[in-house]
Amino acid sequence: MTTGSLLVADLVIAVLATAGWLGGGAASAARRRPLALGLTAVALLATLARAITITALARAGWWFAAEKILIAGPLSLAAVGVAGPRLLRAPGDIRAVALPLLFAGYATSSALLVTILHGYPASAGAGLLAVAGVVAATAISARALGARPSRTVSRVALVVAVAALLTGTGLTVAPGAAPAVPHGHGPPAARIADEPTRRFTLTAGTATVDAGGRNVAAWAFNGQVPGPELTATVGDVLEVTLRNRDIERGVTVHWHGYDVPNDQDGVPGVTQAAVRPGQEFVYRFRADQVGTYWYHTHSASDVGVRMGLYGVLVVRPGPATGLDVTVPVHTLAGRQLPAPRVERVEPGVPVRLRLINTDSTTHRYAVAGTPFRVAAIDGVDLRGPTPLVDTAVLIPAGGRYDMVFDAPATPVALFVDGRAVYSTGPVPTATGAWPVLDPLDYGATAPVPWSRTDKTFTLVLDRGLDLRRLLPRYAHTVNGAADPDIPQQVVRLGDVVRFTIVNRSQVVHPWHLHGHHVLVLTRDGKPAAGSPLWLDSFDVRPGEVWEVAFRADNPGMWANHCHNLAHADAGMTLHLMYS
Amino acid sequence: MRKALVVVSALLLVAFAVQFVLAAVGGFTRPAGEDAYALHSVNGMAIIPILTLLTAVFAALAKAPGKLIGLAILPIGLVLLQPLIAMLAEASTDASGVSTPLGLTIGGLHALNGIIAVHVVVGVHRAARELADPVPADAARLVTREGEPA
Repeated sequence: MTTGSLLVADLVIAVLATAGWLGGGAASAARRRPLALGLTAVALLATLARAITITALARAGWWFAAEKILIAGPLSLAAVGVAGPRLLRAPGDIRAVALPLLFAGYATSSALLVTILHGYPASAGAGLLAVAGVVAATAISARALGARPSRTVSRVALVVAVAALLTGTGLTVAPGAAPAVPHGHGPPAARIADEPTRRFTLTAGTATVDAGGRNVAAWAFNGQVPGPELTATVGDVLEVTLRNRDIERGVTVHWHGYDVPNDQDGVPGVTQAAVRPGQEFVYRFRADQVGTYWYHTHSASDVGVRMGLYGVLVVRPGPATGLDVTVPVHTLAGRQLPAPRVERVEPGVPVRLRLINTDSTTHRYAVAGTPFRVAAIDGVDLRGPTPLVDTAVLIPAGGRYDMVFDAPATPVALFVDGRAVYSTGPVPTATGAWPVLDPLDYGATAPVPWSRTDKTFTLVLDRGLDLRRLLPRYAHTVNGAADPDIPQQVVRLGDVVRFTIVNRSQVVHPWHLHGHHVLVLTRDGKPAAGSPLWLDSFDVRPGEVWEVAFRADNPGMWANHCHNLAHADAGMTLHLMYS
Repeated sequence: MRKALVVVSALLLVAFAVQFVLAAVGGFTRPAGEDAYALHSVNGMAIIPILTLLTAVFAALAKAPGKLIGLAILPIGLVLLQPLIAMLAEASTDASGVSTPLGLTIGGLHALNGIIAVHVVVGVHRAARELADPVPADAARLVTREGEPA
């Protein structure tokens, strides 16, 4: 059983236990003896089962089990400890156990709420609020049931509830230590003086474009979605003038996966100000990385990219040889882009398919009709890629895979989520059942280029209630906090930095660090056994733990976020800065 | 207090009706996106929980019989269960985000649980009206009030 499904199972069992206790309490209050005993048995069984799931989760990693052991554990023990003995005494009137059963129900439900609303890390504040809730709910139930507890018991309950409530609220709402992101513009501009050799102009504006045979409203660079394909040869100096015609929410250009100097990175409020309607900004950087990249707005990025403000950036080592096809996959107004394309290719021609995922969710790509190799991932060439047949790849949001093969005499087709996007003729193949390539096992291994680690950071991804705003929101969190309250990660130039990224949530988080490629070390404790993987976008699935490392060699203030841009908007963004 | 209980439980019933309408709005919105269910989410995670809590509180304050208080508390659990079921259904997709039979089954429970919750609230509302305005059994048969089956 994977950790991801364990997390789900644990949640379902916790709900069952809660429903069992509460239902048992209500049934006994209504003097429905068999029903009450049956529901209580369900609750007891579920509580036992939960001991197993929590133990398994703790073995997978403390992050997955922390609040379950520290908060749910004691509360569940209290539940069984209070309700169990009274049940064993087998009272003549089943109504006598209603209050203990309800108490058990409140204890388990508050623990469940802590897991859902607060998550990691387990905090004293959340635990105290849970206790306050349990005591208050039990006291109200006691009154409603007509129980007459002694005066001392009532007073103690009141004092405990109020104290827990006040302390818990204080601890939860108090401002954290996270300093706000300084709205500086990074270090002094390291603007390169060389004359540009490639010049482009990108004008952002609202437009009506054709998507799958229908006109849809979009935001576009130069009136087209995707924006113009920017190509360069390694060594070129690119100058890109960005103009904003009428995008009210502002635009910038972020060079996704291109490790440009910080002041060219295009993150509004961090590396530059957003370009407002009528304004312009000039980007200039040297194309010193070969490979497949893309660019997109980082201002109101969720809606901006979704509406079409993106395009392809390809840097080639020299003049293009053979057939070079870019396939930037995108969902515009519910329609799949690009439109399917069919072209004839002479047998023997070397083909490179540059697959790009510009959406916020993972896509499944399958090349049918020929053996192929994955030559590069996220722009970086793989070491010793072997030929693959009838194998699909999953490309994370923002990720790129380069597939290469020599055109055979028979047709070849590229399927994206089962839809033929590019083909050289009809290929009637069902690719849905194909195995999926695990890049951690693909290609020839090489030693890690460093033997030391100078800085280690753990990022635990989860969901949680964010109360530090005018309107509370159910945020996507990192270490229990949401942007802008997530502490910055501070590194020094030259440090070897290691990230441990843990996904406790129920959804995939495609992680994306700006300005650096990270080397994958392990996933779920298992070392990467294939070609070195230098990634800028990688899917951390529910229950997974990734260890990645990089050398801090690009000074500045860098966004470090989930590339499901809706998640980034909902809090899952932090910053890495150099001291 | 008894009048307040009637009013709040009626409002809750209306909120539930609106919730079903908003689910349909989400289902028929084109292009289908994550925003399609935004109103459904707001109503379901803010307005309905608040009204559910108020109903339970007023039931307790109105010194309603224990059975009615219990019936008024039950929707709290059912309402909290709803986003949880939705989250699990959305989590049960395959690696490229395509729904699976398991996920759709869980998604079906979301609708089922909603129907159960509505039935419970209808029960609470009926009991609240009887509590606020007790009518002798034979008189009730003669005077059928609007909105009630004859």
